[in-house]
Amino acid sequence: MVTAEAYADAAGLVERSAAAYVAGVPESPADAGMFGPASVTWRVNTDPGRPIAGLRALLLQALHPLAMAGVDQHSNWRADPVGRLAATSGYLATICFGDRAAAQRAAARVRRIHEHVTGTDTVTGRPYAASDPALLLWVHATLVESGIVAAGLFGTPLPPADADRYASEMVAAAELVGVPAATVPATVAALAGYLAATRPQLRRTPAAVQSMAYLLDPPGLDADIAEIWADVRDGAVGSLPGWAQEMYGYQAPPLTPARQTEIRQALGILDAVFLGEPGVLEARQRITLRMRAAQRA
Amino acid sequence: MRKAIAGAALAGACAAALVLARRERARLRLRRGMAAAGLVARGGARYAGSAPRLFAAAGEHRERLRNDLAMQTAEDVALTLGAMKGVLMKLGQMASYVDDGLSPAVRRTLSRLQDSVPPMSPDLAAGVIAEELGMRPERAFARWDPEPVAAASIGQVHRAMTHDGQAVAVKVQYPGIAESMAADLDNVALLRRMLKVTAPSQDVNALVTELRDRILEELDYHREAENQERMAAYYHGHPTIHVPRIVGGLSARRVVTSELSDGARWAEMTTWSQQERDLAAETIYRFVFRSLYEAHAFNGDPHPGNYLFHGGGRVTFLDFGLVKHFTAAELQPLIAMVRNLCVDNDPEAFRRAMEDAGFLVRGAPLSTDVVVDHLAVFYQTVRHPGRLTITPDYASAVVRRFFDLRSPVAAYVSVPRSYVILQRINLGLFALLGELGATADWRAIAEEIWPFVRGPASTPIGEAEAAWRAARRATGHPGAARAT
Repeated sequence: MVTAEAYADAAGLVERSAAAYVAGVPESPADAGMFGPASVTWRVNTDPGRPIAGLRALLLQALHPLAMAGVDQHSNWRADPVGRLAATSGYLATICFGDRAAAQRAAARVRRIHEHVTGTDTVTGRPYAASDPALLLWVHATLVESGIVAAGLFGTPLPPADADRYASEMVAAAELVGVPAATVPATVAALAGYLAATRPQLRRTPAAVQSMAYLLDPPGLDADIAEIWADVRDGAVGSLPGWAQEMYGYQAPPLTPARQTEIRQALGILDAVFLGEPGVLEARQRITLRMRAAQRA
Repeated sequence: MRKAIAGAALAGACAAALVLARRERARLRLRRGMAAAGLVARGGARYAGSAPRLFAAAGEHRERLRNDLAMQTAEDVALTLGAMKGVLMKLGQMASYVDDGLSPAVRRTLSRLQDSVPPMSPDLAAGVIAEELGMRPERAFARWDPEPVAAASIGQVHRAMTHDGQAVAVKVQYPGIAESMAADLDNVALLRRMLKVTAPSQDVNALVTELRDRILEELDYHREAENQERMAAYYHGHPTIHVPRIVGGLSARRVVTSELSDGARWAEMTTWSQQERDLAAETIYRFVFRSLYEAHAFNGDPHPGNYLFHGGGRVTFLDFGLVKHFTAAELQPLIAMVRNLCVDNDPEAFRRAMEDAGFLVRGAPLSTDVVVDHLAVFYQTVRHPGRLTITPDYASAVVRRFFDLRSPVAAYVSVPRSYVILQRINLGLFALLGELGATADWRAIAEEIWPFVRGPASTPIGEAEAAWRAARRATGHPGAARAT
């Protein structure tokens, strides 16, 4: 039986994620950043389906035994899962909305941390290194693909050309953490091909199962957030490819149009709560103003 | 006409019912933002002077926003107010008088949500006018101010001038908002979730249904125009109560045009002399209870942004989106309650009336003395003659008493659906009167209005009102007996 007791509770998830997000959206950036406000990347990062994209990506990422082992054995994941998630959301905000220098600094920090993350996965017996481009690519590709899928199901669907453009824009993000650009799928088709090709390496490890059980039902959430989270979870699990659901043994309720609407509504409430955190509204407004200015230009 | 005090009694009953909610809640972790909506259910709460300000300032919030953030498309509206956010905002607005137990996080969430709604761009608003009235606003009106002057809950207000030279206020609804909120209100499970923590479980269905119905009504401005026109007709010629007339040809489902009124806003009026504030309070009080007893209508949106003050107790009443109409049968128990308790001094009859109305479980193992002792406090302003000052402390002390978990009455009280909205007016009204520190002989004013007393005019406004009523009867004004 899987338990989440080894993990610290999830209180503060909203507050700390919000604070990290706000810190990632500068008031006066030196330049337009890695992608710029006219990019599809900005659009995807402001999509209402974004929280589900994040959770779905984590679910897929955890299926790579070496990526999972690195997180499980090295990071403060068990001691401070909320801090770890907040740091990730802050990193993603900085990469997207920060200026180039801020993105470079954040990526350099991640690369430095990765240098020390090496070891042997107890399940496969294989050595791993967090700086291994193959692992970083898996993390990258699942995030990009999840962004497209979640927007399609719970936000504003991306026209195919925009989805391709998003994949192509995001190559730069992979490069930032050390993945050679030439190896990064730059179209939706290439992404699908890469995911299919990588599937044989995936494993349902105990660490993955425990981590995801924690994420899907985080202990210590306030009661109402927990109920909203249940909808977010259903959305993330239900949007996984069938094979991934099978690997985990999840039985997600089917994503009927009615269910999608309900999940969108739950996301709206979650967003309202997020908006209540200090600085979030202002950060959103900064983003909107910059996107509009770019549109007019 | 029936009586003012019945309303107050109701607030008491509701508050007591909500003790149950409180008890339930105590077992749960202190909640964060979203359950804010559930606070709607909680009638009791404090009448703190600061409470009405939470949402009163919609227009003020908006002024701070820059136009470059304006919503430019229906998609912008959907992103800002779709996916439950509009519903949450509306529920929050309904709860705006109720701050007991509102954690700072909840307040912040509701207030920020309100802040997050920028105005519509001039083009977007003009597009709604064009769709509703069949022509662009520049043609529909002789003059049209493309910049909104105020926020409404699901739209915004523009100034304009009609072709025959009348200055008007034009309320324009956000495009797509009615459809998306109606769809969101269909998610009863989610609404229940938002409400259940604070509402006694047995009442959640009734509560959800009532709030859904009221919000759905508010989405159709036809209905609002009808409510407002009815009230405007009813109060036509009233010495201190003014309701702007609707301009019929320029109103539709998403547009409502009414006579433009100007006057001091709430915040300004609170700086006036105590005498002026007392007069304003008296008019608001008379409006609420005359509307209830004579027009059988209860404006459920008594927030401070909905008044304009002109001095001498003259008040303009705005915004009739949330009006609850009562049948005579629904009002009857309220009348019986106040009459039995305050006029006939018959506690047993008071108790039976509460049971008949569904406020109190029949045969509850409580002595009638206990019931009266506990609920009579809500009739305190009208149980005895004499001048009385309503202070925030007084109001919140009354309510606090009903949140007392040790209350023996709490377990046997509930709020029937028809009266869910009614509690708002009490809370709203007393919050307002408390903030004004208003003094009057409320009992004497109540007796003027109570249908079973019809007492003599007790104040100068009362005398003017009596003259107005006499003149209406003389001319056979259709609203003289009942406006509905």
